[in-house]
Amino acid sequence: MRNAIKMISVLTIVGLISGAALVLVYSYANPLIEKNKKNEMKKAIFRIFPDGKSYTGETVDEVDVFRVKNAEDTFIGYAFLAEGNGYQGVIEMMAGISPDMETVVGLEILDSQETPGLGGEIATDKFTSQFKALKAAPEIAYVKNVKPARPNEIQAITGATISSRAVVTILNETIKKIKGKLK
Amino acid sequence: MPMATTLVLIFVSAAITHNFVLTYFLGICPFIGVSRRIEQAVGMGMATTFVMTLAAMVTWVIYYFILIPFKLPFLQYAAFIIVIASLVQIVEMFLRKTSPQLYRALGIYLPLITTNCAILGLTLFMVLREYSFLESVVFGVGAGCGFTLALIIMSGIREELDCCDIPGPLEGAGITLIIAGLLALAFMGFGGLISK
Amino acid sequence: MTDGKNCAACGKEFCKGLWRENPILVQVLGMCPTLAVTTKALFGFSMGMATLFVLVSSSLVISSIRKLIPPQVRIATFTVIIATFVTCADYFLKANFYTISKELGPYVPLIVVNCIILGRQEAFAYKNNVLESLTDAVGMGLGFSIVLVILGSIRELLGFGTIFYYEIFGKGFERWVIMALPAGAFITLGFLVGFFNWINKRVKA
Repeated sequence: MRNAIKMISVLTIVGLISGAALVLVYSYANPLIEKNKKNEMKKAIFRIFPDGKSYTGETVDEVDVFRVKNAEDTFIGYAFLAEGNGYQGVIEMMAGISPDMETVVGLEILDSQETPGLGGEIATDKFTSQFKALKAAPEIAYVKNVKPARPNEIQAITGATISSRAVVTILNETIKKIKGKLK
Repeated sequence: MPMATTLVLIFVSAAITHNFVLTYFLGICPFIGVSRRIEQAVGMGMATTFVMTLAAMVTWVIYYFILIPFKLPFLQYAAFIIVIASLVQIVEMFLRKTSPQLYRALGIYLPLITTNCAILGLTLFMVLREYSFLESVVFGVGAGCGFTLALIIMSGIREELDCCDIPGPLEGAGITLIIAGLLALAFMGFGGLISK
Repeated sequence: MTDGKNCAACGKEFCKGLWRENPILVQVLGMCPTLAVTTKALFGFSMGMATLFVLVSSSLVISSIRKLIPPQVRIATFTVIIATFVTCADYFLKANFYTISKELGPYVPLIVVNCIILGRQEAFAYKNNVLESLTDAVGMGLGFSIVLVILGSIRELLGFGTIFYYEIFGKGFERWVIMALPAGAFITLGFLVGFFNWINKRVKA
């Protein structure tokens, strides 16, 4: 009996001390983690909108959308978070679109697990710069192995068609989702 | 997407295209240690699949009915590993009482399953990907099957290797790892199997 | 025990983790994080440091209170203590090294089931005093980290042409993409183990 009491009390004490330690660590770390996440989004938004000075956030149909304003407080476009399935996992991205929702302003890949060197190239400037001033009407399209001929086309990465196509599909779907709701 | 298709996709992805051992490096220790003979591999695989499925179910309930409502997400790792260790303990005791032969066949592997990163990894992914209860169960079964599959293939190859000449320094862990690499390469071929 | 004998014993405990009983190359433990996060040298280093922290803290605590832990509940107690330190390490990384934490992903919490840590508590910290357990933990942790950095450097060099993000090979280098993939991890580690065994055999001869 004494043995059982000793076992239970040791476990309980260790459990309680560990629990207390974790609560402390959590209260220290959580605000920092939230700040990190906000910073990451802020950096992405301002990389897409170099003239942007401030933004306000809202959620439309489960999509996080940000209205970006420049230094003169003029509304210069929307930034939104989009995500979907790529080749190896979920791709998370931040995209910018003009106020009339016709032209894509830019693209930043936030998180992807695509194959490094192949699908992973979607995160490089070489790929994402194609999305600056890209027409989104009727929708974004991609071509393979040729230079894009129309203003709404981008060129897929050689050897990474699936990843490139995933980015295009995710963008189109998200734009469609928010288009009606924001005007 | 209809529910049935999602479930099938989760299963196939966990078992083959994103095999836990060969893509996510989970469950490597038993993979290298318990893959010398096919019977061992089958036994270990079945025991692991069983524990995995149970663990997925129990940890899902604990996470969504206790940790989240009480705002304790940071207790996740401690809670999950305690659940897994307890489950293994319970399964062991249950097997010993109800089916002595099964217990003797699987007996030694059961305690090892606790430290199998695949089980904790399974529960962590399940939370990250926000699977529903049913999806988590299918995920558990699929991951277990994938693990068993990898184990069986590896032990089949190693049984053949027993009669081959392997360079001294590579014997044991070395050659097993290299074979695992070739297997991983082969499984990569399944990569585009599921495309939307 | 005289001071001299203490020091010699400590030295041996420290070195065994580095070479003779290296957790990865000899004991073949802790494979999961070794293969998963060594795509770049920096990630291998970070994982090594996180594991070292958990190993040292757990060994410190457990060997200090070892006389108070009843043997029947020792594994459960070890697990709770280890899980607590792992959670600390994970949240610390998320708060202060956000990008690295994203790359290491779920493999930091998986330190909980890293057989090395539980193994050292069971085999050593539970039975030895604090100073010796500390040296054992540091030795094992460093031995683990060194292999991670070596593996990470090889894979980063061949897979990206850089080490710790310093460009070594220049722009013309054709990257060995396989090094960044699971297959490359397995094969490189396999050869590393083989190389280690080969050196051991030559040294003994």
